[in-house]
Amino acid sequence: MKVFFTILICKLLRFVGKLIGKGSSLPGQIALKLCPDILSRVQLPSHIIAVTGSNGKTSTVEMIAHILRGSGKKIAWNREGSNQIEGVTTLVLSNATLGGKVKCDILLIESDERFARYTFRYIRPTHYVITNLYRDQLTRNGHPEWVYDAIADSIHDGTRLILNADDPLVSCFGNGRSDVIWFGADKLSSDTETLESVYNDGAYCPVCKKPMTYSTYHYNHIGHYACTSCGYKRHDTAYTITSVDLDGGEMEIDGRYRISLALKSLYNIYNILAAYTVARIVGIDGAKIAADMNDYVLKNGRVITFGLGSRRGTLLTSKHENSISYDQSLRVASAYREGCDVLIIVDAVSRKYFTSDVSWLWDIDFEMLNNENVREIVLAGTYVNDLALRFEHTDIPAERIHCFADINEAVDYLDSGRKEYIYAITCFSDKGKFLARVKGE
Amino acid sequence: MKLLHLYHDIMNLYGEYANVLALREMILKSGEECETERKSFGEAVDFNEYDFVYVGSGTERNQKLVLEDFRRLADGFQAYVAGGKAALWTGNSFEILGSRLTDCDGRDYRGIGMFSFTTVEQNKKRSTADAIFEADFLDKPLVGFVNKCSEIEGIGEPMFRVRMGLGNKTGDEGEGIRENNLFCTHLTGPVLMKNPGLLVYVTRLVTGKEVAPNPLMVKGYEITSRELGKLLENGQ
Repeated sequence: MKVFFTILICKLLRFVGKLIGKGSSLPGQIALKLCPDILSRVQLPSHIIAVTGSNGKTSTVEMIAHILRGSGKKIAWNREGSNQIEGVTTLVLSNATLGGKVKCDILLIESDERFARYTFRYIRPTHYVITNLYRDQLTRNGHPEWVYDAIADSIHDGTRLILNADDPLVSCFGNGRSDVIWFGADKLSSDTETLESVYNDGAYCPVCKKPMTYSTYHYNHIGHYACTSCGYKRHDTAYTITSVDLDGGEMEIDGRYRISLALKSLYNIYNILAAYTVARIVGIDGAKIAADMNDYVLKNGRVITFGLGSRRGTLLTSKHENSISYDQSLRVASAYREGCDVLIIVDAVSRKYFTSDVSWLWDIDFEMLNNENVREIVLAGTYVNDLALRFEHTDIPAERIHCFADINEAVDYLDSGRKEYIYAITCFSDKGKFLARVKGE
Repeated sequence: MKLLHLYHDIMNLYGEYANVLALREMILKSGEECETERKSFGEAVDFNEYDFVYVGSGTERNQKLVLEDFRRLADGFQAYVAGGKAALWTGNSFEILGSRLTDCDGRDYRGIGMFSFTTVEQNKKRSTADAIFEADFLDKPLVGFVNKCSEIEGIGEPMFRVRMGLGNKTGDEGEGIRENNLFCTHLTGPVLMKNPGLLVYVTRLVTGKEVAPNPLMVKGYEITSRELGKLLENGQ
């Protein structure tokens, strides 16, 4: 009876919550109060696919859902991105019968990396994708090794790990396990021989802490690494990006499937590869996946094209407190051959909590914007002085930089007769203030 | 002038290399020349060559490796500090200078022993907070961020008074420790870039000159102070 009532209440709360536009974690939170072990009392489907990591979770999960649904599978997934145990509980119970049977072929869970250990105490994923581990929200997360330890606690026997072979820290989860499925990229035309990043999180082997060397870098410390001492090295991959042409907007997987890219970033190709890997494991044909991913535009609102007066542009949602996320966006802007202006807004560091810490600005490789493709740089928001100070420590000429504490003034400035495309780079916490002033397309 | 960024590649979690940039900018402004050297594991260091030594924060595992490597440099560094030269150690780096470190598994590590304090780590909860610290030697309080998983016991005379944030151990009103011109604080990140007052003070120690800080830094500091002040008023 307890299960019945808990599920009923969760469903009702979810229904009401949807009507009034409330988030999806509260129903689960109440359900867990009513019945703390509710997740172990429901009947789960045969496939439970979980995705965690610093970046790309939401996009990867959305793509997996898109492909699997296109193949007729019934998917339950936390599309609102409520990825802690409460949100996952809402997801599971609102897709369950009142008898406790979860009605789907595949339960697809985006999980917060620090809290996965609580969620997966009850729900053991059959497949567990770990995308990457970066310096991300360190004011809460501490540092990547701290998060690594938290994720390690969430991995149980009977779970098949699906790991990014190009990330040296993530790959450690595979040590001592024989049934890991690896995905990654071959040496790509966009690779570099030397590190392009402000800092090097691949300098030392995550296993023995002796120096590592790289035969190629895809971006930041993601690439083909090998320890000079203990033999730890990048694992061979089962599912592989075999080539990419970011200018032309095309990638190739496993030497045969070509996918045209709606978003020309390395991030995007990794997310597509992770989604492809999961779909292949579930049994979907590679050609079908490639067709589903062709020109796929994410619906999670992270990349939005807009008009501002006579100008056009793209908002690239980037995570504050996450330098690699910023680096990816800066790379997209700096590769725009027709010439662009770049707007960067740091107004509220987070939408979920308060911090005034802007240390992470120093980890972002803003020097990338020192390039003929990037014309004017507009900095805006409460922390505009910190941004401007950071830019002073690049070689970008000062006359190309324009600063506004007020976001509206920055938008007014950009609303000019200039012809350059606009790349707006900011976080969830600040993008609404910008989007309120432009026309979404 | 010569600056040393020690363990630059492994104790540099929160953009802390910018501390060296901030001081370098001030030294150049004072009319002196400035050279920065970056060193790490196994490299020879003659502290006599330097006018400023900086070490930033690292992961708990990396900090233990640094402790072992630093043993060979400890005497030289102690002489450097005894001579009154300036150094800044931020985040968990300065924990190695105490008498003992205990990790989350209860394993003990003998510290460098420049100070008598002891440090105990845990791996359950990350202790993080925006911070406002006051010091007798500064007109205005410091602003910054603490990010740690340890408690430090046995610092009788801390360097800062905690107005907001975390002290050496839970509930402590004191934070950090100072010995001559060695400044040790658990503030992370570019502390000197965020705090023009401390930067001017350290610049004076290093160059003997009074140098005005970058106006952007001053404005940035005022805004962070204002934002943290609001937080403090609202009872954190």
